[in-house]
Amino acid sequence: MSSGRSFLKTNFAIDLPYPNPFPSREKGKRMVFIFLPLIPLLFLILSFSISYSTGRTFKDEVGKEVTFPFPPKRIVSLAPNITEILFALGLDKEIVGVSIHCNFPEKARTKVRVGSYIRLDFEKIISLNPDLILATGAGNTRGMVDRLGELGFSTYVIYPKNFGDILKNIVHIGQVVNREKEASVIIEGMKKRSQAVIELAKGIPRPKVFIQIGDAPMVTVGKGSFADDLIRLAGGENIAEKEKEVYPRLGMEEILKRSPEVIVISSMKPNGDYQKIFQEWNRWKTIPAVKNGRVHIMDSDLIDRPSPRIIDGLEELARILHPERFKNNSKLVLQNGLRSLLIIH
Amino acid sequence: MKIVTSKKVLTISILLSLLLILVILVSVTLGSVKVPPLRSIRILFLSLLGLKGAGSETERTIILSLRLPRAILAGLVGAGLSVSGATFQALLRNPLADPYILGVSSGAAVGAVIAILLGLGTFSFGLPLASFLGALVTILVVFYFGREDGKIHPNTLLLAGVITGSFLSALIMFFISVSRREELHTIIFWLMGDFSLSNARAILIIFPYILLGVSLLYLRSRQLNLILSGEENAVRLGVDVEKLKLLSYLLASLITAASVSACGLIGFVGLIIPHSVRLIFGPDHRLLIPSAALLGASFLIASDTLARTLLAPVELPVGVITAALGGPFFIYLLRTRKAIRTL
Amino acid sequence: MIEVNSISFRYHEDWVLRDVSFRVEKGEFVGVIGPNGSGKTTLLKILYRLLAPQHGEILFELVPMKKMDRADIAKRIAVVAQETHLLFPFTVLETVLMGRSPYLGNLMFESEKDVEIARKAMEWTSIFPLSERPMDELSGGERQRVFIARALAQEPEVILLDEPTANLDIHHQIDFLDLILALNRERGLTLVMASHDMNMASEFCDRLILLQKGRIYKTGPPGEVITKENIESVYGCEVWIDQHPISGMPRISLMKKGGIKR
Repeated sequence: MSSGRSFLKTNFAIDLPYPNPFPSREKGKRMVFIFLPLIPLLFLILSFSISYSTGRTFKDEVGKEVTFPFPPKRIVSLAPNITEILFALGLDKEIVGVSIHCNFPEKARTKVRVGSYIRLDFEKIISLNPDLILATGAGNTRGMVDRLGELGFSTYVIYPKNFGDILKNIVHIGQVVNREKEASVIIEGMKKRSQAVIELAKGIPRPKVFIQIGDAPMVTVGKGSFADDLIRLAGGENIAEKEKEVYPRLGMEEILKRSPEVIVISSMKPNGDYQKIFQEWNRWKTIPAVKNGRVHIMDSDLIDRPSPRIIDGLEELARILHPERFKNNSKLVLQNGLRSLLIIH
Repeated sequence: MKIVTSKKVLTISILLSLLLILVILVSVTLGSVKVPPLRSIRILFLSLLGLKGAGSETERTIILSLRLPRAILAGLVGAGLSVSGATFQALLRNPLADPYILGVSSGAAVGAVIAILLGLGTFSFGLPLASFLGALVTILVVFYFGREDGKIHPNTLLLAGVITGSFLSALIMFFISVSRREELHTIIFWLMGDFSLSNARAILIIFPYILLGVSLLYLRSRQLNLILSGEENAVRLGVDVEKLKLLSYLLASLITAASVSACGLIGFVGLIIPHSVRLIFGPDHRLLIPSAALLGASFLIASDTLARTLLAPVELPVGVITAALGGPFFIYLLRTRKAIRTL
Repeated sequence: MIEVNSISFRYHEDWVLRDVSFRVEKGEFVGVIGPNGSGKTTLLKILYRLLAPQHGEILFELVPMKKMDRADIAKRIAVVAQETHLLFPFTVLETVLMGRSPYLGNLMFESEKDVEIARKAMEWTSIFPLSERPMDELSGGERQRVFIARALAQEPEVILLDEPTANLDIHHQIDFLDLILALNRERGLTLVMASHDMNMASEFCDRLILLQKGRIYKTGPPGEVITKENIESVYGCEVWIDQHPISGMPRISLMKKGGIKR
């Protein structure tokens, strides 16, 4: 109904706890006080009537009603997965602000930074004057979203909790930015590719997998994480899947006991130095994965980020888990954005 | 003859208030988005008159809905923590006392952490309420254990406070160890002190506690002087010492509880400001309390401004700045102290 | 002026004072003596109502002390006792002004009159030149005089002194005692002093109270209290009592065990 910034909300005199210390006495001042607010009021009424037909209300994934001009022409993304989705849907100039973590595609790095998962530069956001802000419940804080609301911004929140949710996110975001067709193309592609992986991994034994996402302390992925879903879809068995936490901490003893056949290290620095990590693992030669040289590194953006590239992560993981099955299937080897290392003992 | 008179207190308070106003003005002109300073100030003054006149909507939102509430909140918390620290130093007759020494802050932190883990991490309501409740419970527990034969014994109180604080800190560490990654981030940033979500509502909520606490403590400042020379001495001079201790403890704890609930744990202020003010103006609480309040407010506003502008758009935790500024400044004061105390 | 009627007091299980009764008349200089643990300090603390006796009562000019409030007591009774080390030093003037506290009530600042009274007290104790000095820069003797000045600023009728000359050099001791003697003689202040220095008590006090294990063993003028029998009975050691050559007051000399000869 209103434009992206509700004008009523930006009446600062109401927001502040100060009483007006200078009650006007002279008639002249009184006249000014009466007429002055009438002018913006006039504009207000006009703007309502103008924008009425172009604003729309959606319900976001956490149940909030969000109203903004449709289609939104100035969008801010507060998380890297959202940024990837926006670019994948074909947007670019509409994206006016991204988080500091947004690193894909390359173009995202040139966009204006508005903050991190938990600290926003509100001034920056205000100066960018977005129609719509996209946030994720799995990363951004509620306090932040509320504050944005207080400042008059419309924030649409997605909340992916598993692999299937990512597809839903793409659909919803597609609706919200008026790219529903592009969204369904992406979804179809993702469905097809994931189906292909499931098919290829059918009927063969599921190797036991350990994905390491942190090293001090040793953190892995449990039920409720995207990586766990990937392992299952790629035909593996997560040795930590029975743990109660989403990111459980397993001690080395426990890992030795569960003897994973494949170890995947999810790394934030895909081009970094891995000698140290492999040396660490090499100490535990009783682990089948170490003995057979099946310790791999994957780009964490591919298995931890609920974005379209999760499919790349899925294919990569499948290739790591079932190398025999994928040797001759060129389609699934080294696609766009894949960076991984196979270490042969 | 050089003693603390009402005239002296008034004069110094006015001077420090002017300093505070200056600091607020500077703070409002600085930020990650460049707004010309004069325009910022005009926006500020015009809004006080209820007028809109200067700057674009964007600029006015930035100045009035972001920077101003933040400065006011930082000022309130800075004043509160300084006065609370000074009071605990007198109450416990211990120069190392700070607002957090009796475990109130740990209680507030536990309340906040529980709220975050339960998903009530909304700044505008759930979090501050939960942490305030946590603080209140801790105040009662420590108070209960700090008494012997119905009287407050400073050493017993101190022990009870430190032990409770340690226990609660261990509890927090436990919560951290079982929290998920997203919660972890929120928890740690809250613990480090954060003014980024300041809004008018938060100000209205904590303003009465700080104002009430500081005023009532100020009215007792002459008695606080007496208790510094020993409780027996204060009794000999006609002071109802038990009542004074009770009141001081509760008011100072309440101020701390409100401050921590509003913005998390900000260290150093409650320790450094009282000592610095004593080095300049002397230990008389009639001058110490208002000076510490005003100076503490200026200090924290300045620190917070630096925290958000130094490496914009990245925001440093304000506790880092208070430590970095406070430490060296205090050392400097210590070295030149003989020359300073002339009032 | 002060009537102590059968007071008994204990901190925990053991009685520190048992059935103690005595009177202090206006203008008297009374000394309370006895071994450590006999209850001297406790008795003083009860006299200014820091502690309340479990049995008995104390009347101050016929008014039971338990009916007086703290400020009232402080306006009539001042105390000079051992001070703990100062955390944040105030100046001499600020310290003496604290003596005006019972008269200020909820007021925040001292008036001209209060400052005048403090000034007079400081002149009386010859410490006015030290007004602006911080307390931690004074010597022991000077500090004691500040505390007397503070006590005088309370404009009391009675001053209680607890071991006031412990840790002072002899010249400071003499100065101090001359000062309080003058307060007693010239200004009519009633004094009650607890001391373990019996010779000093003998020299300066009108009357002595000798305590043993919480009871009054003997009370009366020094000549009657400081006798060989009394002292040996209470302290359990041999002493030599003679008379001070100039004042004529009883004087105790220590005796080594095993006789006088070296």
